[in-house]
Amino acid sequence: MTRTPRIPNLGGARAFILHRPHPTVQAITRQLSAIGLIALDCWPELPPEALAADFVFFDADLGFDEQFPWKAGEAPMPLVALIGSEAPGRIEWALSHKADAQLLKPVGTAGVYSALLIARQSFEARKHLAGEIASLRQRVAERQTIVRAVAALSKGSDDERAYAQLRSLAMSWQISVEEAARRIVAMTDEEATGEEGGNDQSHRA
Amino acid sequence: MPRMPRPCGAGCGAFSFLGSCLKRRIEIGILYSRSGSYQLVSDACRIGAMRAIADINADRGSGIELVPVERDPQSNADRYATLCEDIFKTSSARHVVGCVTSWSRKETIPVLEKAGGMLWYACPYEGFEANEHVVYMHACPNQHLVPLMAHVVPRFGANSFLLGSNYIWGWEMNRVARDLIADAGGKVLGERYLRIGETDVSRLIGEIRATRPNFILNNLIGTSSYAFLAAYRDLGDEDPAFRPQTCPVISCNLTEGELPAIGETGRGHLSVGPYFAPRPAAFASSFEASAYASVQVMADVLSRDPEAGPAEFSKAFAERRFSTRLGPIAIDANTQHATLPVIIGRIADGFFEVVSREDEVAPDPYLSRYDPARTFGRPRLRVVS
Repeated sequence: MTRTPRIPNLGGARAFILHRPHPTVQAITRQLSAIGLIALDCWPELPPEALAADFVFFDADLGFDEQFPWKAGEAPMPLVALIGSEAPGRIEWALSHKADAQLLKPVGTAGVYSALLIARQSFEARKHLAGEIASLRQRVAERQTIVRAVAALSKGSDDERAYAQLRSLAMSWQISVEEAARRIVAMTDEEATGEEGGNDQSHRA
Repeated sequence: MPRMPRPCGAGCGAFSFLGSCLKRRIEIGILYSRSGSYQLVSDACRIGAMRAIADINADRGSGIELVPVERDPQSNADRYATLCEDIFKTSSARHVVGCVTSWSRKETIPVLEKAGGMLWYACPYEGFEANEHVVYMHACPNQHLVPLMAHVVPRFGANSFLLGSNYIWGWEMNRVARDLIADAGGKVLGERYLRIGETDVSRLIGEIRATRPNFILNNLIGTSSYAFLAAYRDLGDEDPAFRPQTCPVISCNLTEGELPAIGETGRGHLSVGPYFAPRPAAFASSFEASAYASVQVMADVLSRDPEAGPAEFSKAFAERRFSTRLGPIAIDANTQHATLPVIIGRIADGFFEVVSREDEVAPDPYLSRYDPARTFGRPRLRVVS
């Protein structure tokens, strides 16, 4: 039976509310404490401890870039935008910070729990995707290395057999094809420069 | 928050003369269905609330007289919100004791928010809610499902079949149960829902027979639940693997009020609640006791401050404990959930024998303090094939 991911337990998580003193802050704090989070409010700046927060709620109406100790769009935790006036410029600014969820002001007796879950899930998904893109980019950049490794292994004869050999080496070393190619290229370079005799004989093809 | 205006209802003076005491008359709403598939539970709550009202009115020491303003939604989920609104429009009541299903409670909340009213909810529910306009006077998951599973898993095993009526109570209870079962190292062997009132359970029984769970979590309500227990008893007669001592049916909302409808078929199965009726009993079930306690707590605050609104209630919850017929009760001001005893009971001859009891369990409606290791002991190793 396939299991859907479980609802995360938010007990003890820390949430900063970056908003001037206002009933909205009380409404959010009340909901956060009921859910089991520790709520801390601040204005106009996020204190240093905010860097270790699990969530940050920020005011989209009066907020500005300098409030955050990170570049726009690079927050290390899920962000929830608190939107009062739906002025397009303010929404655009909130978007530039890549808010993962939003709450409309005035905040009433509900909404925080779903905002937390949605923000967390979309932040994790974004982070996962960014990691995957970085790894794919790196692999694309290694194409040249693979070509060089195949050439070194084939010594000018059968490229297909050389590529198969590279893959089987990667498997036996339990590393990626790109990593194996880097090793082959490094060893070939060492041989070429007459520095053979290092400790890494085990990886010899 | 506005203080609740507490003038008396139309046609009566601000005070009534009862015996030698001047009593302040305060109208309160009663919103329980008098018919339908979960009528037994609804009646139990209503009896509890009405008894408390009668007792408070007869108490010469109490400065208030409660006047019930009653509406009957007839077990129709769509009627709760409109009837609650009707109570607020046609009377001075701002407190309502009522609702049995979570569906009806959630329907009523927008009306409560609009009117600044407060619902006293006397039934167990699935948790993950903490509305300022609701006082949750019966158990939430850390007071029912979690301790019940912690009791059952070491004794019977962790593999389970999950049942529910097709609405939020069943869906959410089974969602929490799936997580708990995974933490206990068990498997969910099946999960099935029946529409409220459905009594054809033959397919469920067939699936349970085929998958052979260690226990069955029953979140069916009313007549569906009675039909299931009867059919399961027949299955146990045919195959001893499905008797209560080997594969119990466990419930978080089954009380004495429903035993007459279940009869012999329930014997040996388990339930959990804040109260099981001793013999002789002050209350027939935890629903009755909890509704009674709801009115007691409400009256306690109103008798000191008849004008008390949500802010005054919140302050009273933060500062005080309440003496009720359920025992001394605290209400967490943050979540407005009651601290309650957790009692696991086994169905015997028309009553529940107490299997275990833990007093004063603080509410944790979002399970934010839930710890799998403490609940189930060391993580169980799963066989990986």
